[in-house]
Amino acid sequence: MRARGVDPAHPGAGALVRLFHVSKSYLAGSWALRDVSVELEKGEFAFLTGPSGAGKTTLMKLIFAAERPSEGQIIVLGRNVGRLGRSGVPALRRRIGVVFQDFKLLPRRTVEENVALALDVVGTPRRQARSMVFAMLKRVGLQHRRFHHPLSLSGGEQQRLAIARALVNEPEILLADEPTGNLDGELTLEIMDLLVSAATRGTAVFVATHDSALIERYGRRSVKLEDGRIVEDLPGIRELL
Amino acid sequence: MRRLGVRLRYFSRTALHGLRASPMTSAVAVATIGVTLLLVGAFVLLVSNMERLLDRFGEDILVSAYLEVGLPGEEQRALLERVESAPGVESVRLVTEEEAVQRFRQGSAGQASLLEGLDENPLPASLEITLVPESRSTEGVGILVAALDGLRGIDEFGYGTEWVEGYARAMALIRGIGVGIGAVLALATLLIVSNTIRLAVYARREEIEILRLVGAGRSFVSIPFLVEGFIQGTLGGVVAIALLYGFFRILLPGIEGGLEILLGFATPTFVGADGVLGLIGAGAALGTLGSGLALVEGSQR
Repeated sequence: MRARGVDPAHPGAGALVRLFHVSKSYLAGSWALRDVSVELEKGEFAFLTGPSGAGKTTLMKLIFAAERPSEGQIIVLGRNVGRLGRSGVPALRRRIGVVFQDFKLLPRRTVEENVALALDVVGTPRRQARSMVFAMLKRVGLQHRRFHHPLSLSGGEQQRLAIARALVNEPEILLADEPTGNLDGELTLEIMDLLVSAATRGTAVFVATHDSALIERYGRRSVKLEDGRIVEDLPGIRELL
Repeated sequence: MRRLGVRLRYFSRTALHGLRASPMTSAVAVATIGVTLLLVGAFVLLVSNMERLLDRFGEDILVSAYLEVGLPGEEQRALLERVESAPGVESVRLVTEEEAVQRFRQGSAGQASLLEGLDENPLPASLEITLVPESRSTEGVGILVAALDGLRGIDEFGYGTEWVEGYARAMALIRGIGVGIGAVLALATLLIVSNTIRLAVYARREEIEILRLVGAGRSFVSIPFLVEGFIQGTLGGVVAIALLYGFFRILLPGIEGGLEILLGFATPTFVGADGVLGLIGAGAALGTLGSGLALVEGSQR
C-alpha cells in the first residue's frame, strides 16, 4: 500500500484495484478494516500479510464484492464496488480469479468439471473449454487426475485445483488467500511460480500469506495489516532497484 | 447464437446432473405430477367421449313440419323449397300422406288395424328437416321453428330435444367439476413440485454459493432448476398418458358393454393427439411453474 494519496475520481493509469479510506464493520463499534487505502496495478504482484484476524480475508472479500464497504470507496476494474447493481457483481467477478482458503470445490463434480465451471459461467464453447482446462491442469500438474473427484485428492492437489479454476479464465485480477498453506516446500515454489507468471502476463495478483520466508524469497511488494489497519507497505526489490 | 447454444447445453447438463443427484425426490415429483394429470386426463377422456355421444345424438335431431290436411301437391313442393332456404337447414324431405300411412303400418305392426275402417287417411303430409351439424341443438331448433312459424300451409311442428338438452347440461356439469378438481390438483402439484425444487436448491446451496463466487448471475444459477422442473413435469405428463392408456385398455370392455346396453351403441375412444400433447404440455408447465415458484420464494427470503 503505497500510502499514496488516492483520488477515486482520477484513478492512476493501470491501477486495477483502488481502495480509498475503506472501513468495514460487521458489528457496531468493531472494525474489521479501518481507513485502508491501497492500489494494485496491472501486472503487479503483492503479498498481503499480517496475523490471523488482521483483516486480510475481509480486504479480499471487499475487492471481489462479497462484502460492501461500510465507509470509503473501492474501485475495481473501473467499477465502484459499493454501487454495483444486481448484474454488476457477477460481471465483475467473472474478471477476477479467487483462490479461497477452504478451496470451495464442488465435491460431486470431477476435477475437470470444477475447473470448467469458471468457463461455463462466461459461456466458453465446450470444445474450447476442454482444451483450456486440460492446458491449465497440465500447468498445475493435475492432468492425470482430471476425471477424479476433489475428495479423492490430497490437500495439496485440492489447492492446485483451486488455483487452476482461478487462473483458467486468465483473469485481470487474481486474489489468493493462503494459496500455499497446505503445500510442501517444493510444491509451494511451483505454485508461487505459477502465480508470479500470471502477474508477468498482466494479471494483478494479491496473495495473502503468513509465510514470511516466502515473502523474503520472492522479494515482492508486501502490505502488512494489523487490527484492520495497514501498518506497513514495503515495495518489492524491483521497485527499489 | 453460439453462446446461447453453449448456455442451453450447460443448463440441460446441469439439470440432468441435478436429477441424478436426488433420484428419489425427483421420482416423487414425477409421480405426483403423473397422478394429478391422470385424474385430469380421466375427466378429459370422459368429457370428450360424452361430447362424441352428444354429436351422435345430434344426428338424430329431426324437425317435422306437419302440413295442413288437403294441401295440394304443388303447394307442398313450394313449401319444401321455402323451408330448404331457412337458417340451419341441411336437407328437407317431403313425406306424403300415403308414405306416412305406409310408415305407420310398418312401424306399428300390432296396431295397423287402427287405421282400418277409416274413410280418409288421417295422417298429414310432413316435411322432415335435417339440420346442419352446428344447428343440431335446442337453440338451433328454436331458431328454425321461429323462422318457419306462421308460414301458410304448416300446421304444427314436431321435435323432441328436451332429453338432449338435459344430457348437454349434465355434460357441462361434469366438465365444470373436472375443471374444479383439475384446478385444485394443479395447485397441490405446484406446491409439491415447488417443495421438491426448494429441497434441491437447499441440497445444492454450497454449489450455488461457489457458482456465485465465480461470477454466475441469477439466471445462470436459476435456469437449471427451471429446466429440472420442466423435465420432471414432462415426464409426469408422459407417465399420466401411459397410465391413462393402460386403464383405458383394461376398463374398455366393461365400458363398452355398459354403453351398449344403455344407449344401443358404444365406441369409446382414447384422447386424440391434441389431448396427449395437452396433458404433457400441462405437466411441463406445472413443473416449470412449481420450480419458478420455489426460486421466487427462495430469492425473497
